[in-house]
Amino acid sequence: MTPLRWTLGLLGVAAMLAGVRLLVLGTPSGTPLDVGWWFVGAILAHDLLLAPLVALVGLAVWRLPERRVLRGALLTAGCAALITLPILLRPGPPRNATVLALDYPLNLLGVVAAVLLAASALVGVRRARRRGDAPNATGPGT
Amino acid sequence: MARVPRPRWARRLGRVGDPTRWFSAPLHDERTAVVVGRWLGAGVLVCFLTGLVSHGLQHPGDWLATRLPTRPVWGYRLTQGAHVVTGIALVPLLLVKLWVVYPRLFVLPPVRSLRHALERLSVAVLVGAALLQVFLGLVNIVQWYPWPFSFRPVHWALAWVLLGATLLHVAVQAPAIATHWRGRRNDPEGTERRSLLLGLGAAVATVTLVTAGQTVAPLRRVTLLAPRRPDGSKQGLPINRTAAEAGVGEVSEENWRLRLAGPRTRELSLAELRRLPQHGARLPIACVEGWSATADWSGVRLRDLLELVGAPPGASARIVSLQRRGGYGVSELPPQFVRDPLTLLALRLNGQVLSLDHGFPARIIAPNRPGVLQTKWVTTIEVSA
Repeated sequence: MTPLRWTLGLLGVAAMLAGVRLLVLGTPSGTPLDVGWWFVGAILAHDLLLAPLVALVGLAVWRLPERRVLRGALLTAGCAALITLPILLRPGPPRNATVLALDYPLNLLGVVAAVLLAASALVGVRRARRRGDAPNATGPGT
Repeated sequence: MARVPRPRWARRLGRVGDPTRWFSAPLHDERTAVVVGRWLGAGVLVCFLTGLVSHGLQHPGDWLATRLPTRPVWGYRLTQGAHVVTGIALVPLLLVKLWVVYPRLFVLPPVRSLRHALERLSVAVLVGAALLQVFLGLVNIVQWYPWPFSFRPVHWALAWVLLGATLLHVAVQAPAIATHWRGRRNDPEGTERRSLLLGLGAAVATVTLVTAGQTVAPLRRVTLLAPRRPDGSKQGLPINRTAAEAGVGEVSEENWRLRLAGPRTRELSLAELRRLPQHGARLPIACVEGWSATADWSGVRLRDLLELVGAPPGASARIVSLQRRGGYGVSELPPQFVRDPLTLLALRLNGQVLSLDHGFPARIIAPNRPGVLQTKWVTTIEVSA
């Protein structure tokens, strides 16, 4: 186990150094520093913005009924919104008529609605099944 | 000796307790990190390997250039499609993984030892590289470049950093991964974890379903949030760079000439080109941005043109475009692509004369090549040894 672990770790360090070398030697002189800022910015944007936001939402829905289905629905709808965000925030017109050719706000609304609908249907089915199971569960007394 | 009173901050810290316990939700545990992490790791590996292929095809260097395969014709379509599809699927995977381990950010004391410091540093590199790579890719495919550097070399360099940080992370966490690879019976968090994984699966499936149609034809009808719609555009194919963007004005059918420069030199008018033997090829065009579509091309085989000027067998070709703005105005075709019967100087697309934006009067189409190398508005073909 240990030699394999060391080999893997050293390979990892070598690949990271190769990447840094590519960044330093393969780009114009100002680029590595710029990338450094964006690198730190990406971490901060997640750790100080997105993660606390998700934690707050989690705190808000934690005690709601059907929180597990709700969590899945929020995760799915949130990710759909997140991958559409670059399209929605991109300034200026598309480069030509075949790029960004869809009605994204409307489509995103549709996807979010479909996710909520599917989640509601799932909750409905599970509740119906639970109710159906209930008489049987009370057992042989009936 | 009198006891030194603990400083006020330390007492306050004692009351605060262990910040990693502020997060009361279950699933901030090692087993969940391992289960989500292995999917994430697999995705990172797919993106790295397919990225390697794309880089090799675009910047092969002398050794690799003559060894690039021309088959399967849909090779680049598959690898680059997988690159972008997987990259989009990494969004939910990465965010859920980071959610699982987020409490560890607040571990006290922040640094216990040199080893601990190095470990935390390597995790910071891993997190930063993963977030930045996914972000750069996601924003690049909508043709938005808000960063002050060139995308390609940075995405390429960070790919190695991300791969390395992932391997190192697996090595460091090997004992935890081994312990938690298999689930345990009677795991108190089992139901909870399964529900999180189902939610994660739904998120991955959804983002894939609504975007993958830009390269996976059967999913076209549900392509709701992809940057490209692979159909319904001019001559049935999307366009990356229009003639106007490339600085190509109207090309006059009468005045345009194709210059062939080899051992002999020849100039051909469009009418002469049309009188040469025409061949058809059904080939995909696959963009580095992750969209692709198959089309019916027809025109003159490149190898027939090179024979006209006495090119030796095994010659490679340099294709020069009328393009005056932007990169990729010149492309090099290694010998195996020149020889290939499917490599055409295309004059027609899906049964019609090429439109100006698709490269009128003539463009290169070759099998298993990135779209940016399928040079449009060809004006000169030079034979190189």
